[in-house]
Amino acid sequence: MSWVLSLPLIIPFATAVFAFLLRNSPLGRWTSLVGSSVGLVASIALMSTVLHHQVITGQMGNWPAPFGITLVADLLSAVMVLITAITGIAVAIYALGDIDETRERLGYHALFQVLIAGVTGAFLTGDLFNLYVWFEVMLIASFGLLVLGGSREQIDGGVKYVTLNLISTIMFLTGIGLIYGLTGTLNLADLSGKLDAVENQGLVTVIAMLFMVAFGVKAAVFPLFFWLPASYHTPSFAVSAVFAGLLTKVGVYALIRTFTLLFDGDVGLTHTILLWVAGFTMVTGVLGAAVQNDFRKILSFHIVSQIGYMIMGLALLTPLALLGAVFYLLHHIIVKANLFLIAGVAKQLTGSTELAKIGGLYRSSPLLAALFLIPAFSLAGFPPLSGFWAKYILVKASLDEELWFLAFVALAVGLMTIFSMTKIWAEVFWKAHPDGRQPALSGLVGRTSLIVPIAGLALMTMVVGLMPEPFVTFAEQSAAQLLDPTPYITTVLGPQP
Amino acid sequence: MSHEGTLLFLIAVLPFVGALLPGLMIRAGRTVCAVSTAVPTLLALIMLLVLAPAVLRGEVVQANIDWLPQLGLSASFFLDGLGLLFAAMILGVGLLITLYARFYLSGDDPMGQFYTYLLLFQGAMLGIVISDNILLLLIFWELTSLSSFLLIGYWKHLPEGRQGARMALAVTGSGGLAMIAGMLILGSVVGSYNLTDILQAGDAIRASEWYLPALILILLGAFTKSAQFPFHFWLPHAMAAPTPVSAYLHSATMVKAGVFLMARMWPALAGTDAWFYIVATTGLITMVIGALIALFKDDLKALLAFSTVSHLGLLTMLLGFGTEAAAVAAVFHIINHLTFKAALFMTAGIVDHETHTRDIKRLGGLRHLMPVTFLIGTVAALSMAGIPLFNGFLSKEMMLEEASHTDWFGSPYAVPILATIGALLSVAYSFRFVSHVFLGPKREDYPNAPHDPPFGMWAAPAILAFLVIVIGVAPFLAEGIVTAAANAITGADLHPHLKIWHGVTPALWMSIVAVLGGAVLLTLHRPLDRAWISAPRPEAKPMFDGLVAALVAASRWITDISHNGAISRYLAIFTITSVLLGFAAYSGSGLAMPTRGLLGVPPVIAVGWIMLIVATVSIVVMHHYRFRALTLLGIIGLSISAGFAYLSAPDLALTQISVETVTIMLLLLALHFLPKVTPKESAIGLRIRDGIIALAAGGGVGSLAYAFMMRDIETISDYHIDNSYEGGGGTNVVNVILVDFRGYDTYGEIIVLGIAGLVIYALMHALLDGPAAKRLKNTDYSQDRSRDRHPLMMVVVTRVLMPIALVVGLYIFLRGHNQPGGGFVAGLVVAIALLMQYMASGFAWTQERKKIEYHTMIGLGVLVAGLTGIGAWLLGQPFLTSAYTYVHLPPIEEFELATAMLFDLGVFLTVLGAVMLMLYSLSRIARFAGETVNVTPMDYDPGGYVTDEEAER
Repeated sequence: MSWVLSLPLIIPFATAVFAFLLRNSPLGRWTSLVGSSVGLVASIALMSTVLHHQVITGQMGNWPAPFGITLVADLLSAVMVLITAITGIAVAIYALGDIDETRERLGYHALFQVLIAGVTGAFLTGDLFNLYVWFEVMLIASFGLLVLGGSREQIDGGVKYVTLNLISTIMFLTGIGLIYGLTGTLNLADLSGKLDAVENQGLVTVIAMLFMVAFGVKAAVFPLFFWLPASYHTPSFAVSAVFAGLLTKVGVYALIRTFTLLFDGDVGLTHTILLWVAGFTMVTGVLGAAVQNDFRKILSFHIVSQIGYMIMGLALLTPLALLGAVFYLLHHIIVKANLFLIAGVAKQLTGSTELAKIGGLYRSSPLLAALFLIPAFSLAGFPPLSGFWAKYILVKASLDEELWFLAFVALAVGLMTIFSMTKIWAEVFWKAHPDGRQPALSGLVGRTSLIVPIAGLALMTMVVGLMPEPFVTFAEQSAAQLLDPTPYITTVLGPQP
Repeated sequence: MSHEGTLLFLIAVLPFVGALLPGLMIRAGRTVCAVSTAVPTLLALIMLLVLAPAVLRGEVVQANIDWLPQLGLSASFFLDGLGLLFAAMILGVGLLITLYARFYLSGDDPMGQFYTYLLLFQGAMLGIVISDNILLLLIFWELTSLSSFLLIGYWKHLPEGRQGARMALAVTGSGGLAMIAGMLILGSVVGSYNLTDILQAGDAIRASEWYLPALILILLGAFTKSAQFPFHFWLPHAMAAPTPVSAYLHSATMVKAGVFLMARMWPALAGTDAWFYIVATTGLITMVIGALIALFKDDLKALLAFSTVSHLGLLTMLLGFGTEAAAVAAVFHIINHLTFKAALFMTAGIVDHETHTRDIKRLGGLRHLMPVTFLIGTVAALSMAGIPLFNGFLSKEMMLEEASHTDWFGSPYAVPILATIGALLSVAYSFRFVSHVFLGPKREDYPNAPHDPPFGMWAAPAILAFLVIVIGVAPFLAEGIVTAAANAITGADLHPHLKIWHGVTPALWMSIVAVLGGAVLLTLHRPLDRAWISAPRPEAKPMFDGLVAALVAASRWITDISHNGAISRYLAIFTITSVLLGFAAYSGSGLAMPTRGLLGVPPVIAVGWIMLIVATVSIVVMHHYRFRALTLLGIIGLSISAGFAYLSAPDLALTQISVETVTIMLLLLALHFLPKVTPKESAIGLRIRDGIIALAAGGGVGSLAYAFMMRDIETISDYHIDNSYEGGGGTNVVNVILVDFRGYDTYGEIIVLGIAGLVIYALMHALLDGPAAKRLKNTDYSQDRSRDRHPLMMVVVTRVLMPIALVVGLYIFLRGHNQPGGGFVAGLVVAIALLMQYMASGFAWTQERKKIEYHTMIGLGVLVAGLTGIGAWLLGQPFLTSAYTYVHLPPIEEFELATAMLFDLGVFLTVLGAVMLMLYSLSRIARFAGETVNVTPMDYDPGGYVTDEEAER
């Protein structure tokens, strides 16, 4: 079982090394692409194994849990790995048309693959300190990608990004130290039981708060999200797409994982705080977006706002709400990465991302326009696209709990999202280009490599939207696993007394 | 599924499938494109007519496919009288619009897209009226908003089109969202999302405590869609759309969706006071206000738009009355309004198309130039005015009849009087449409010389005008469908008789008053118009824009407060949040008694501790002076290393010292290129604030550490100590943890280190491209440079040290598994040795003697470590499983070989490569800044002493 678990991680690392050694040759980018394809196959294998066994586990170095490092894949982990691989291959294809040779020589493909590996590692680990390691891997790789080939703006954004994220990582490390001091273990499954046995639950809650802050920064929730809008609009578009799709979601994943498996002792406090966090995140994000007049900045703020929905699902902690959170997570990665990819094409064609300076894409690139509509309206929650189901489930969950105001906020934020998306649509697509330019895609390789991933992701959005049933069923099972972690714990540690 | 069900399903799907056609067919020409739009519509209409007889007999056709059963959603459709009426209208008018648009759109307009959107819209609309599941209905509902957004903005070059489209979407979209909430509540009250179930559970719904919220939320959806006051304002702005769109969406179909919804939900929601007062009152107000504004609109389409608002109000009011007779009147008026209003819109479109203006004040006398258009327009307008023998008269009479005996808050007069006023205004603007456009003298100043359009363009309105007269003269023809629809709404078994003459009733008198009053009002139009223009009145568009602007301004305010770009503010918010959350979590719960005593503090330790604190405080004070700060950093690092050593962690101490050394050396090199002093950035108040925050956070962490360190725990590290030798083959448990127990972590960390090297390299690259490059170029560093950059003494010493350091590195590496040391420290030690060569003899000289590229070294390191891990797979073991054996090689004594050492070699290589790459990056900066490159080991070459003889040779 172990190789199924480690392959999705080893493959991007190996790809990174080879792409790195080949960074001065055009072979580098193809290595990256091949690696991403193989990685996708590996994560599909993982997914099907997990579907069969529900939870699988592997011990690194063959040391038994909780003494060695455990890799675990339950449904949520497996699907996150799969979606990471999907995003990875989409962006790897896109990079063929987006990443210039300077960036390649500086090691773009290696950094990208390491980032994918880090994200995958975070999803697969069953060990708290190991999670920290993957956070560091992600942080350094993403920082590299952020400043690669950098303009002043990029460096400025990169510094803010790395400072705030480093601080959060330190907070995370402090939390790990404290939790080890309290329980003497780092294995998540082991911690789950030992934390319950701690006589001083107040201290556990304090640690929970440290983790909430640390992961909250990563997930970009209110009031800790500042680094995101400060940096996501600066790097190359392939990079910001993979950031937008995956990075914050690792934070959300970590929050979901720890606040269902570990910190479920004082739900009254922790999850109430999360509820408020969710509401404020949705609102501040969408308000921030309303102010922006730049394609990518609008999208960046919407990441924040959308994170709020996922946190809302976690905070409600009902089966339906968690289902919604998981579904939202999956839907959002696809949609958001795609929107950034589209923004990149728009920039290539029109020369800018500032709404006032661009336009005319509807006439000249109707295909791109149609492909924009799908993720944009999915993001806003229009049926029958994936985002509709995601929002619908969460609104229903909050109404079931009679949280009227939260439901109202969730719906109103959806409306504001429509406002932003139609602003982009009217300015970038409908309006004529102020220079009278007729931007059109040209060059066969460039055209294919840019449009194929966009079309693929849009297709997935459509499929999830039109045939939500299997995905909802999957999210339902996944939520059930989160709410009752017994199988997770027994798979890792063996039958518990 | 029955045959009928399959047919129904096909009807629902056909427009969506058909939507693909026009986009493809446009290549074959405009007519083919139009035909390919008409074919799916016509097919659907024929299928509908096949089903019609059964429905008219009172049967209900059903089709059901599961879609998302967990959430109560199924793709279920049903066709009853109400659905049949609307479906027939949607498809029938759809056909006429297709024909009309073929001639209306100019050659520049992308016709394929138009027809695609049109079919999408048609499908969505059709879906609403035949959905048997409220969630499905919601989906179609939102789809109409979306497709109408695309249609309204079809003329994308017009800013008002783009704004109108966004406004329409914002208003109807928000209503749709409210409706989602309402429907969800309704669904949970009934326990089913099936419309059939819900309609039968009317009593339970009305008795539920959630009735009122659900009602209001659903009505919000209906009112916004059907442009009821105060949400009516989007409709006139949607008139920026091409006229076929206005005729289809904004008279016949989409705006009727709200009316449809109220009719559909009638059995479930109607019949209460709340329903009556909310719905009927809103309808009444909308009817009067819409009619009043319509009278003073000079834009033909705006006039028609407000008249539509008014008529929608009329329908809403009728449904609000909640009586069966009113429902019959509503159904009949829906049909009649469709016929005359669509005809009028198309007439307006023809006038616009021919004269190039829609401004009534620039028109007049067209009857001579466009007799056919005049005839059609007049028939439709007279029907709108409610003149006998036209169909509008009949349903208006029924409306007035219902109004005449409706009590409103105890007053029997309010509703009849207002209804009469509404009718009167309606007569006035209808007459105005005819007289100011077609009557009067012929003018010479039309923007374009008008004449009647080709047959294809006036055929569609002509058919509708024909229907106006047919129904007006022989209303019994519509009796079947009206009965079926009214029965479907009310759930009763009604047998209404539609007649031309009802006898002398109050309604007739009200009608007469309305017609006469309307005519009088029109003669007074000129002075009234002047008064209207000069009178202050609220305009919806600026209010909406103001609302949006206010929202944006508020957002900007909030965003600017929290998001001013200053990193110190972000950090402050972060820290405050953490501290607050920590306190919130901790407050209330006590601390358990410590189970450990405090260790004693020997004087040496106390001194070290004080040094640490003093150095830390000083760094806060002096951080503006970089060099001093760096020195203090060194002190802090060394104190910490000493602390590790004191607390029996020699591995940590060793690592810390080497890391410290390398870091400080690299920082020193970098320091050279930084400004010597950083500017003081924050004011004193801010610094005090930040100080307080920092103290609170530090205090929090400190007390936490205290709380945790005073307790005994059982940890997993006992296992590590027990198994280190037997399982891992090493006696140094720290090293075995690093390369074996938790080698997986280490693997991640060496990647971090390697990437860090890469990132620094990339950053350097960026810096040398950016504004910092200018400063570097322009600063003269030669002043503070030593005369003898590569002093002989240093060169000699470092050369001597080099082999020693290498041996030490090797030693540390090899002993690592059993004694403090290991690949990481060894890597650093070797790096230090190499660093010294660079410092002594300069980069270029050393670089020439380097055999492996640093990038490659990092890659190799990661590769070696990874391969070691993967090697375990070959033996069927998990990733990174180690193996070891003892080797006896004479003359050396027996030693151990572990795969973990191979892993450690990877660590070693990566560390070395990363550090050297960092150095390389710094030297690039130095060379960029104008430092000369030396090729000799030192500036003064002792071997270079040459005798005169040699020189001569």
